[in-house]
Parts: sequence; C-alpha cells; structure tokens
Amino acid sequence: MNSLIVLVPALPIVSAILTHFLAATLGRRVARLSVGLTLLTFLVASTLLTLAIMGEPKQAVSLGQGWGIILFDPLSSLMAVVISGISFIVHLYSVRYMAEESGYARFFVMLDFMTAALLLMVAAGDLITLLIAWHMVGVMLYFLLGHDTQSQSAYRYGLWTFITYRIGDIPLVLAAAVLFHTYGTWSLPVIFEQLAANPDAQTFFGLAVAEVVGALVAMAAFARSAQFLLHTWLPYTMEGPTPVSALMHAGIVYSGGFLINRFAPLYIHTGDVLHWVFIVGLVTAVIGSVLMLAQNDVKKSLGYSTMGQMGFMIMECGVGAFSLAIFHLIAHGLFKGTMFLSAGGVIGEARHDDGVPKDDLYTFVVEREAPKVQQPLLMMVGITLVIPVLVLVLSHWWVAPDLYQRQGAIILLFFGWVTGAQLLFSTYHMKATNPWRLLGLVLVSFVVVVVGYTLISHAFDQFLYNDPEMASQLYRAAGIDIVWFDALVVLTTIIVVLGWVRAYRVEKLGSHIDQKPSHWWMNFYSLISREFYVIDFYSGLNRRLVAASAKLNVWFRWG
Amino acid sequence: MADLGFLLVALFLPVFPLSIVFNALFAKVKPPMLRAGLLLGWPFVGVVLFRALEPAVPQWLVPMALFTAVFYAFRLLAMREVGIWSGFLATSVWACFWLPLLYGDQDVLLYVFWFGIPLAVLALLVGGLEKRYGAAYTDLYGGLAQTIPRYSGVFVVTVLAVIATPVFPTFLGMLNIVVASQPVVAMTLVGLWVLWSWSGMRLIQGMIVGDPSDEVIDDLPMVLTWGFGVLMLLLVVAGFALTGDL
Repeated sequence: MNSLIVLVPALPIVSAILTHFLAATLGRRVARLSVGLTLLTFLVASTLLTLAIMGEPKQAVSLGQGWGIILFDPLSSLMAVVISGISFIVHLYSVRYMAEESGYARFFVMLDFMTAALLLMVAAGDLITLLIAWHMVGVMLYFLLGHDTQSQSAYRYGLWTFITYRIGDIPLVLAAAVLFHTYGTWSLPVIFEQLAANPDAQTFFGLAVAEVVGALVAMAAFARSAQFLLHTWLPYTMEGPTPVSALMHAGIVYSGGFLINRFAPLYIHTGDVLHWVFIVGLVTAVIGSVLMLAQNDVKKSLGYSTMGQMGFMIMECGVGAFSLAIFHLIAHGLFKGTMFLSAGGVIGEARHDDGVPKDDLYTFVVEREAPKVQQPLLMMVGITLVIPVLVLVLSHWWVAPDLYQRQGAIILLFFGWVTGAQLLFSTYHMKATNPWRLLGLVLVSFVVVVVGYTLISHAFDQFLYNDPEMASQLYRAAGIDIVWFDALVVLTTIIVVLGWVRAYRVEKLGSHIDQKPSHWWMNFYSLISREFYVIDFYSGLNRRLVAASAKLNVWFRWG
Repeated sequence: MADLGFLLVALFLPVFPLSIVFNALFAKVKPPMLRAGLLLGWPFVGVVLFRALEPAVPQWLVPMALFTAVFYAFRLLAMREVGIWSGFLATSVWACFWLPLLYGDQDVLLYVFWFGIPLAVLALLVGGLEKRYGAAYTDLYGGLAQTIPRYSGVFVVTVLAVIATPVFPTFLGMLNIVVASQPVVAMTLVGLWVLWSWSGMRLIQGMIVGDPSDEVIDDLPMVLTWGFGVLMLLLVVAGFALTGDL
C-alpha cells in the first residue's frame, strides 16, 4: 500500500528521466514510453481511489524526517485520478500534435515533471512538500508555455504567469511560517489535530492563527486560480502549445480550489475569511463573464470564461460547499480540456467544410432568426419557479431534513436554479416538430441540473468529508446572519430576473427599442473593452519599475 | 560608532555602502575561475570572521541588511551584463546571511555553499559565453536555446538554483531564514525572493529565447555538461540530506 502511495508522484519523475536519457536512442518513439508510464500512473491512482471508496483509512507515508510526507486520503486519491487521467489524455494527444515541433522529447519531459509536481501537490502531507510542489507547478508551467524557444511573446506571457504565481507563493510561504512558528511541526495532519484541540491559538500581534492562515491560504489560492486583479495571466497565455493550454485550463488553474479544500479543517475555525472568499469569487465570476462576452478574440474569450468559472469555484468554497468546488473543478476541467483538444480538429474540418447543418439551431444561433413555433413563455417561467420548490421539498425529504437551515445548501439550489433556468431559456428558442417532446426535454434537463447540484454535492460531501459534523461546520463557518442572508438571496433573485426580463425584451422587441446606447453604457463598454485597465496598469507598472532599476544602475554604475 | 570588527564583517557580508567594495572588485576581476572563487570565498570569510570576532552589532543592521538585499535585487531587473548580474545577486543574498547569524543558526556556512556553488557555476558559464561571443549581455544575441542547447540547459538550471527555486537547497535555506524571522522581516524576504525570481526569469528570457544565430558556435562539451549536471544533482541530494527536519 505504501509503495502504491509513493508510486503515484514517483512514476512521472521516472518517466521524465527515462524520456530524457532514451530520447537519443529511441528518437520520437520515446513519447510512447512517456505515454505508457503516464497510463500506469493513472492505473495506480485509480487503484488507490477504489481503495479509498471502499473505505481504506487515511494514511501518511513519510520519506524523511519531519517532511516529505505523502498523504493517502479521499481528496488526494480523487485529485490524483483526475490529474493523471487528464495528463494521460494530454500526453496521448501530444504524440501526434507535437510531432513536427522541435524539442519533441523535451516537451514530454516537461509534461512528466508537471504531472509529478501536480500529483505531489495534491498528495503533500506537510508544508515543505506542499510549498515545493506548489512552486514547481509555476516553474514547469513557465517552461511549458515557452516550449517554442523562438517565440518572444510566448515567453513574455509565460513570465506574467510566473510572476503572478510567485506573488501567490508569498502568502503560502508566510502561512507555512506562521503554522510552523505556532505548532513547531510541518506535518499537516498534526497541525490540524493541534488546531482542533485549541482552535483559539494566537500568533503574532495576538491574531488568531486560523484567521491569519485562512486568509493567507485564500490569497495563495486567488493567484493560482486567476481571481480578479491576479487574473491577467490567464487570458493571455494562449501562445503556448495547445496541449499545455488544455492542461492549464483543465487542471493547473484549479489548484486554488484544491488548496482551500486541503485546508478545510482550518477553515471550520475561521470567522470572516470565507465571506471574503465568497466576495472575491463573486466579483471574479461576474467580471470574468462580462469580459468573456466583450471579447472578439475567441482565445481570450475562452480565457475569461475559465476566469469566470474559477470565480464560481472560489465562490462555492466561500459558501462552505467545499466538496462541490471539487466537483466543479473536475467537471469544468474535463469540459475545458475537451474544448481545447478538439479545437485543432474543428479548425481543420472547418477549412474544408463548415459542417453546420442549416437546421433550426443553426438559423437561431448563427442567423439570429427567431423560430416559428415556441412554447408560451409563461409556461417556462412557471417551470423555473415550480421545479426548484419541488426539488427543495424532495431534497428536504430524501437528503437532509435540516436542509432549510443550511444557507450553503440554499445557495447551491440557487445556483442550480439560475443555471437550469438559463438552460431552459436557451432551449425555449429552439423549434421542434413535437413541442411536447421539447417541453419534456426542457423539464428533464432542468431537473437534472438542479437535482444534480444537490445530489452530487451530497455524494462528494460523503466521500471527501465523511464526518457529517465537519461538513456542517464548514457551512456554519461560511454562514451569515439569517436576515442578511435572506435579503441577499432576494436581491440577487431580483437582479437575475431583471436581467432575464431585459434580455427577453431586447430579443422580443428587437429593432423597436431605442438602439442608441446611452452615454453611461458607452463608458461602461469602453471600460470593459480595455479590460478595466488592469493590464494597462500592470504593464505601466512593469515599465516604470524596470526604468527605475535602470536609472539606479546608471547612478551607481557597478557599485 | 561601529567597531572595526563589525565593519570588517560588513565588508564580507556586504552591507551598503560597503557592498560597493565587493562589486567594484568583482567588476575588475575578469578570469572566470577567480570570479567563482570570489563568489564562494567572500561570504565564507565573512561568516568565519563574524564567529571569530563576535562583533557588537548595531540595531540598524537588520534594516540596513534588508535594504541592501532589496536594493541590489531591484537593480538586477535592468542589469543586462550577466557577470555583474551574478555579483549583484550575490550581494543581495549575502546581505540576508546576517539574519541567520543573528538568530544563532548553525547552518549559515551551509547556506554559503548552497548559494555559492551555483553562483560559481554561473560565473564559469559567463566566462564561457564571453569566450564565445566576446561579451555576456542579455538581449544581445538571444536564441541560445537553438544555437547552443546544452549550454542553455545548464545555464537555465544554474539560474533556477541561484534564485532559490525548489528543489535546490537554496530554496530550503531561504525558507529556513523566512520561517525564523519576525513578520515584517519575513514579508520583506519573500518580496525579495520574488524580485530574484523576476530578474532571474528576465535573464533566462534575454539569453535563450529568440531566433538561432547563423554563425556556428561551439556548444558546451558533453563532458562539461555532464560535470555541471552531476554537480547540480549532488547539490540537490546534499540539500535534502543535510536539511534533516529543517
């Protein structure tokens, strides 16, 4: 068992070393070795996940004195399967995709090291191993993004990523220092035990350890998961090879959500930190989505789309739905990975034939032609109102009797409702020969989305945090005063519904409404078209700092 | 008035403005082996002198040492001459050694070697570059990854080691110093660490990225590549072995 636990992060390292040294002998066939060992890593990780599902207790394998601890627990085993699985697909895809690129073997070596760093990160059982792996992910990503050593722009944007990651490393290093200073150990399980025994422990300046470390860990997660103001690297790192983009958008960027989950035993003792996490996630989700809609560059649009999803994932952590954030990162990772990996094929096919059948979906989406037969909107609105109530009642009955008291659960259903309703309104525009069949599909889709949110959240909670007390403590730590909570839910509902009404009006009335945008609207548009001037600010700051450094060098010469 | 013993130590573990002495000397010294020796030996003398003389350390030393470290790290950002770059980085690193000395950390000599060895290797690599191109400047010729790939590989690994990147022992040494420090000092140190990383990556970018040269340039001989590779590997292994439980 111990060997299997160590084997997961060790196999990609072995693969990288063998690939490097056998490249001269095997030529391009060396990629098969890398792919084969990654598949083996995936199989070992799957075995461990199966054992975890079957109830194998948590274990920690220590490779050194005090640090070098590799964990086996539900979170690490689940994440290891996801990472090795995505990495295997990316490896397999790269065999042909990178065939004509120079540095073919180097690419697989770097990919293997990146996989090892990610696997070590999710299995790290102590702060030093975590810091090493966390830091290595940034370094490896820099060199993977700059695989084409002739591309200045790839390196320029790779440097943005690297610097943002390094800035994000600062709070994690400080968190490690505070924890070591307080508890005198690097071991995460021991730290969490001691924290549970004395949740009010204090550190420098009389501050609560849980609050300080919780805030620092959250800040590290924000940088890694492209939260607002630390997001600029994500939409601009499309110069790297497509498999790297896939790996980045399908796995690396989710490290923030993982990190917050790893420190879940700490967050149950925090007060306001999760509220700030929620606000940062909310702001990122909104801004990421707005910027995504405003882009005319498809790649940047995809980058901002990931940013929006990252905001959503961090927001889920902020409401205490830690396990749902893990589900979200897995689901969206697979979705985004598929999008990136299939992009090349789609472009290739489109060069010969656009392949778009001129059916109703095409005429609606591309030609913006309204369908002829539609369901009454009132019926659709009715569905959006009735189904959530039905789901709430059923969930209360089947899943958790105290569901109404859980703010996090209500928020989850709220997310489910918004997502499901969006889906429903999209479907509403489609024409069907059998309107009742379409209505049935709408109902099923809506129920799947809303029930999916509830049940998957429950299943992930059961697996990742099988102590029900801990799960409820997380929700409690994220909870706010019930009056404020209700007011916020009502306010958000009003905003969402007003948005839908506005969208409906624009679409229904079309040219009949006043087309001339207001001055305010144009200012807002210019603001988002400049991406809130964040990039300009950072570029200006970079130029000024380098110029100031050059000036100092002129003044002091070599002294 | 600082005593003579302290001033002597502050010359070898450079504190601004005494740091000018080392950098002036380093700029004058051209042979790579001599530069490598300076990078290894200079702070060693400082640490030994500190332990032998046990000078009275003024209260302003810690802020001044941190200022020196940040001052030279900041200047690295725009420094294009790779030789002087390594001298500035060494000054920035050595100024930090005051902290573990004052904390009573017994591993300071290890830190001297952990940082000194890759810095010395960098000095040798700079010498190799000057021999091939006549000068070692970033953004001057570029494209080394295509022109001399073996040299570029060793160069990249060495720069990563000197800017305290994991898995090199420089990372563990820096982490040790940060953990032992009070909050304000620790925050300054991690900021300093980011400056090293930023300038290190700018250096790498300015050297290896770009179109290959039309001129045929001799790459690093295979034996030397292996030699540098094994040295770095030994450094990593020694770092893990000697770090113990930190």
